[in-house]
Amino acid sequence: MAFLFRRLGFYLAAFVAAATINFFLPRLMPGDPVQIMFSSAGAELPPESLQSLKLTFGFVDGPLWQQYITYLGSIFTGDLGRSIKYFPAPVTAVLGQALVWTVGLMGIATVISFTIGSLLGVLAAWRRGSAFDVIVSVGAIFATSVPAVVTSLIVVFVFGFTLGWFPSGYAADPRLDPAFSLQYIGSVLYHGFLPMVTLCAVLTGGFAVTMRNNMINLLGEDYVVMGRAKGLSDHHVMIWYAARNALLPTVSSLAIAIGTILGGSLVTEVVFNYPGLGNILYQAILARDYPVIQGQLLIMTATMLIANFIVDVSYVLLDPRLKGAL
Amino acid sequence: MRVLLDGLLRNRKALVGAIILVLVLLAAIAAPLLTQYDPSARVGRPHQPPSWNHLMGTTRIGQDVFARLLYGARTSLAVGFGAGLLITAVGTALGIIAGYRGGKTDEVISFLTNMVLVVPNLPLLLVLAAFIGQASPFVIALILGLTSWAWGARVTRAETLSLKQKDFVKAAEMIGEPQWRIMTFEIFPNLISIVGINFIGSVIFAIITEATLEFLGLGDPRAISWGTMLYNAQKASALSVGAWWEILIPCFALALLGLGMSLLNFAIDEVANPRLRTGNWRDRWILLARSGEGRL
Amino acid sequence: MNHPLLSVKNLTIDYIGDRKDFRAVDDVSFDIAPGEVFGLAGESGCGKSTIAFAISRLHKPPALIRRQSKILLNGRDVLDLTPQALAAFRWREVAMVFQSAMNSLNPVSRIGDQFHDVLMSHTTMTKAQARERAAEMLRLVDISPDRLRDYPHQFSGGMRQRIVIAICMALDPKLVIMDEPTTALDVVVQREILQRINDLRRTFGFSVLFITHDLGLMVQFCDRIGIMLAGRLVEENAAEAIFQTPGHDYTKKLWSSFPSLHGGALL
Ligand SMILES: Nc1ncnc2c1ncn2[C@@H]1O[C@H](COP(=O)(O)OP(=O)(O)OP(=O)(O)O)[C@@H](O)[C@H]1O
Ligand SMILES: [Mg+2]
Repeated sequence: MAFLFRRLGFYLAAFVAAATINFFLPRLMPGDPVQIMFSSAGAELPPESLQSLKLTFGFVDGPLWQQYITYLGSIFTGDLGRSIKYFPAPVTAVLGQALVWTVGLMGIATVISFTIGSLLGVLAAWRRGSAFDVIVSVGAIFATSVPAVVTSLIVVFVFGFTLGWFPSGYAADPRLDPAFSLQYIGSVLYHGFLPMVTLCAVLTGGFAVTMRNNMINLLGEDYVVMGRAKGLSDHHVMIWYAARNALLPTVSSLAIAIGTILGGSLVTEVVFNYPGLGNILYQAILARDYPVIQGQLLIMTATMLIANFIVDVSYVLLDPRLKGAL
Repeated sequence: MRVLLDGLLRNRKALVGAIILVLVLLAAIAAPLLTQYDPSARVGRPHQPPSWNHLMGTTRIGQDVFARLLYGARTSLAVGFGAGLLITAVGTALGIIAGYRGGKTDEVISFLTNMVLVVPNLPLLLVLAAFIGQASPFVIALILGLTSWAWGARVTRAETLSLKQKDFVKAAEMIGEPQWRIMTFEIFPNLISIVGINFIGSVIFAIITEATLEFLGLGDPRAISWGTMLYNAQKASALSVGAWWEILIPCFALALLGLGMSLLNFAIDEVANPRLRTGNWRDRWILLARSGEGRL
Repeated sequence: MNHPLLSVKNLTIDYIGDRKDFRAVDDVSFDIAPGEVFGLAGESGCGKSTIAFAISRLHKPPALIRRQSKILLNGRDVLDLTPQALAAFRWREVAMVFQSAMNSLNPVSRIGDQFHDVLMSHTTMTKAQARERAAEMLRLVDISPDRLRDYPHQFSGGMRQRIVIAICMALDPKLVIMDEPTTALDVVVQREILQRINDLRRTFGFSVLFITHDLGLMVQFCDRIGIMLAGRLVEENAAEAIFQTPGHDYTKKLWSSFPSLHGGALL
């Protein structure tokens, strides 16, 4: 329990750090930052938005520390200010809906690619040097070395434009109303398919390499050899002696991979015009909608910390040596 | 060091990777000899498909794609290696100092490292770049270098901790060598393969991230780089109007360079970690087993 | 020795290298009689574990057992076993205690499960019978059966080694290979465990291939001893004889490096 509490405390500190970056960046801009942002966003903004923009960045009257406290206070009460582009919509509303799509896309892609990648890595390591191992290893090198932008663009070109098998935009058919109907869900799956496959293609290779290396590093361990000496079936030893142990370091490396997964999913969404955070963010960047760009950092950080915490908990659950920690 | 080089020379992955890297490097250096066009000038009609005049077609505003690709390689390589160097230098220095000094220093550096690791990198870079405005490739390299060292620092620290226990370090301490000398001349040389992996990984990361930031519209659109090529092509809806060359060509260039660098990285990993190596012995073993000379 | 249990003949094992091979075991032959304790001694790296692995057929490339080698157990060549026969043969006929006590139990599964998997895959026992058998084996090595639900890290090194020995007994094997079963343990625990092995051996009547660095221990524990040097078996004789009248120069050198033997008969 103490372990998990310590992690939680650390995550809180990390979140405050991200918020602190957000707080200081506009203050490091030369001149009057709010004025600059206001003008760079175009002239159509109503004048009252200037005031709300100031509040968004914590420019209240008072010394710096007071501004900082006010800013942190508003963030922790869930107020990320108002968007410039969609004025007067609050940033949380703009990002909130998009977050659902992103987390869905990312979560499912992570589960699928982690499962497939780890499985491939286990088999490749177990049949080390076989044709299967060579194919997996070489495939993984390709998959991990091609940037997500490139993979997405190529997939959208081939399957979206050239073959026309899949739509290349939106999360569902825009003519349908969101509802819990078969038709709508089908449309969501159809539209989500390409981004999902792309994201899986980007991620699977990395998981396969990690798992393969972790497996190879412990195949010589005495308990694996003893499993074989016990006359257990090959796949029993592979799964319950080798893979089960190799899973531990693989899961902890998942924590570091989450950042990459997030980045990959942002990019994929932009290319596929998928209405998740990435796409909103892209629009925000083009429109220089600073409150949204900043809000995205906080929401992404929170997502990442929650994901990290899930990884922590599953690690503790997976390793009996840490039983006492829960 | 010798062993590392020796191993790399005999490694097939390293060879292919090095060939790719050298080709891209040569193309970047020899750009003015390979094309007569100015990469930023309007030299043809918009969206011309590849032809003898324009080997890789033209962009929507009539720039020559081949010329942009060659000159863009300069930017990608410069940012990649520049940022890679910076990332590695910061990460290695912090890792060694934290690992060797231990105590409070270690606590502070480790805390910072872990902190940076849990703040998602791309979103952070997006915010930084957005506030900088239209970031030039140089600025992108700089912010990459300052925000992406954490992984390297963590790995280096772990390795330093185990080196610290080794006899040669203890011996150096015994004869009273100053700490900075031990760190630079005793510990650093023994970390060379980790530093190598870190460096190449960082170069790959920097090349990809620069392209991504520019693609997302945070770069300077007038810069000539593979990322801005993608950005301009995407903004010109190159795919939906059928001008695939404008988008796929920088795509393939990025993929190729990424592949070359990854091959180098995997090769160093194999040479440094003997357990991962699939050496020549495997072929010899199979041959002997097949011919009935032995079994298991 | 009319009917040896194990008969190793011309065992030759290479580790295949990138350019040239390393001969770890060179034309080694020896027999072990039913119920006998045979000791294998020699300096580190002389090929003892390589032999032990070959007998259970645990080697993986780059190891290669050369053509002329034979490992006969009750007259049947272990090296000719089909995969199914091999699975049935392992642990049932030859069980093994590995070199590192700390590390030969699967850290992520319960002790009970590590009994169960071996019992379930070799016998037709039901779950309940397997549990009963596991409890019985644990009692043999003085560990309380209610600890079957514990994980390996909850036991001390000596206890873990006793658990491994208990797992070895589970199928009543004919031969138990012990590769330095006590190196990682302190002297008191070491004695205790050897004592226990000896008692079990009297009860069950299995043979032991005992591998160690510790010549003193070996002389007290073994019936016959083989001395290895750089992959070759240079001398083989009854324990007493090896001690009193060592034949090979190397054996004499080995003795002189152990000036004081643990006095008194252990067994
Ligand atoms: N996988 C391998 N590849 C190449 N050589 C190996 C391999 N495993 C063992 N060897 C070599 O084979 C020789 C015999 O090793 P083995 O493990 O049998 O020694 P040992 O007698 O059991 O030593 P110890 O008492 O230290 O356990 C050693 O010289 C070792 O270097
Ligand atoms: Mg050994």
